[in-house]
Amino acid sequence: MSEEKNITESTKYETFTQEEYMIMKDDLLRPIEKIGKAGKIWIAFLVAVCLAGVVAYYIQETKSKYVTVSLRDYTMWGVYISNFVFFVALSLVGVLMSAVLKLTHFEWYRPLSRIAEVIAVGAIMLAGVSIVAAMGRPDRLYYLVTHGRIQSPIVWDIIVIMTYLTTSLILLFIPLIPSLSTCKNHLKNLPKWQLKMYEMLSFGWEGTPEQWKILKKTVKILTVLVIPLGISIHTVTAWLFALTLRSEWDSTNFGAYFVSGAFLLGSAAMIIATFIFRKAYKLEKYLTEMHFDKLGQVMVLMGLIYAYFNINEYLVPAYKMSGLHANHLLNLFIGEEAPFYWSVVFFGIVVPCILPMFKKLRKPLPLTIIALAVFIAGWFKRYLIVIPGLLHPYLPIQDVPASWTHYSPSLIEWTIVAATFAAMMLIVTLFSRYFPIISVWEVAEGKLEGKEEIINYK
Amino acid sequence: MEKYKYFIATCIMILFSIATSYAQDKEAKITLTFEKADSLYVCKALVTSEGSPVSEVPVNLSVKRLFSNLPIGDAVATDSTGVATFEFPQDIPSRNGKLTIFAKIVDDENYMNTEASGEVNWGTVVVSDNSNVDERSISGGRSEAPIYFIVASLLAIGLVWGTLLYSVLQVFKIKRLGTVNKN
Repeated sequence: MSEEKNITESTKYETFTQEEYMIMKDDLLRPIEKIGKAGKIWIAFLVAVCLAGVVAYYIQETKSKYVTVSLRDYTMWGVYISNFVFFVALSLVGVLMSAVLKLTHFEWYRPLSRIAEVIAVGAIMLAGVSIVAAMGRPDRLYYLVTHGRIQSPIVWDIIVIMTYLTTSLILLFIPLIPSLSTCKNHLKNLPKWQLKMYEMLSFGWEGTPEQWKILKKTVKILTVLVIPLGISIHTVTAWLFALTLRSEWDSTNFGAYFVSGAFLLGSAAMIIATFIFRKAYKLEKYLTEMHFDKLGQVMVLMGLIYAYFNINEYLVPAYKMSGLHANHLLNLFIGEEAPFYWSVVFFGIVVPCILPMFKKLRKPLPLTIIALAVFIAGWFKRYLIVIPGLLHPYLPIQDVPASWTHYSPSLIEWTIVAATFAAMMLIVTLFSRYFPIISVWEVAEGKLEGKEEIINYK
Repeated sequence: MEKYKYFIATCIMILFSIATSYAQDKEAKITLTFEKADSLYVCKALVTSEGSPVSEVPVNLSVKRLFSNLPIGDAVATDSTGVATFEFPQDIPSRNGKLTIFAKIVDDENYMNTEASGEVNWGTVVVSDNSNVDERSISGGRSEAPIYFIVASLLAIGLVWGTLLYSVLQVFKIKRLGTVNKN
């Protein structure tokens, strides 16, 4: 009882101006109320690509993998694992855009945090799917539990992915509780099951001071927790490579190199997602040009950090040009992969470091185009880390079949990769169709400068 | 004539291969003997055909390994007494010291392919020290993980999952508070 008294005394709660709040609530709940024709077509398209992926996976698993996929003894990982690395990198967007900005009190994070968290959840789920697609015997997945060794990086990866997924889901859900209560109270013309879902998931939210206190404390703990978790998930992914005997991956720099790349990719993904949600749901009032300006600056910073790690990663071995490193590096710099490699360096490192420095290019459209180039280059960058590395083993086998020394993904592999992207976008799209993609209370709270808390709105 | 050039060439080639294959039909027999001269291991392969020794026939020597035979040096031609002499290396590993050695005539112009084998006690017995196989180490099996490693891992996992469990319990606390408030 005394505790309750303390709460009431120590903080003064003010209701957000009802009028302002109603406008904001209507704006942010609008996408849930009705789905336009374009939205339906988009969802149908994504479902179709996902189904194509399921069919491709069925073909891959029922027919001989030697026929259906291009994976061989040298390139045993291929495009699935480069896709996995990409998705793990993408999942770090939650850490950067939600946790880091929140803890460092960059107020502009508010409308972006939930978008970032949904992308993180979707990406980490699809990272798991990519691993299963790459497995020779997916039916033996449970062996990792029954026979796995705690000393193995593969087991660390499974543990850290499961942990990060769970944390991201909880971190997505808890700040959603007040928004679900808003949905329950204000959305009427919806199917019964949907209203029932809001009712159930809002966990009896009344907006009492005690409830707010618990919610904010828990969110803060999770926000702190998710940063080391996010960094460890990508570092462990980097270790999967760095602990395998391949000249390209023989690096002590790998963890930091991967994490910095992930943050650059995260800023690009965030720009693209913000642009799409802004246009599709007409959220210009909340996702403003200021956000693009800030995101552009974040991209430059992350680009410079990533460039620094790239210089370490490539220039140090290139200076020494020892044995197998030379073989692999010359192939990238001036050999067969050179056009591919230099395009990735240009679009993936040079472009994000330089172009968003100009204020004019930090406007929504030009910045999104830059982000798109960085995003695509980011995917190919992971391809360039995985595949040429595998093609240059420490112990080359004599007289190997030609198909081992070159790798180009089969149609089945491309279809499954496309399906993982579609599935990720489907998760984000469906989420935004059923839940407010911008956290109503977080934005409202941010606008309450000078006032202490927002508590009583429902 | 130009028209038939390829046909004639093919015919000649077929005739040639038939002729050479007939030429190879002489049977040869290899007798393997093993000697220890001074400190050298010497392996002699006597090649005979129809009872008499044959000279200038290349013989390949190999030793049986787990999946296939490992060639020992290049082929050695038999001398005027029909003997091909090989110096056998002394460092071929073996489980029990025994080695199965093969002498072969392969693709010879005059003699059909043939082989002979013999077992000899020339292998180096490999003694591996497996005393540390049950020790706990990073490279050990599932049940041989180092204690510090298991403790550190469980501690990290426990801390993180403990926090997650705490967060979930907080959600139920929120629910309880909501119900209390309603009542």
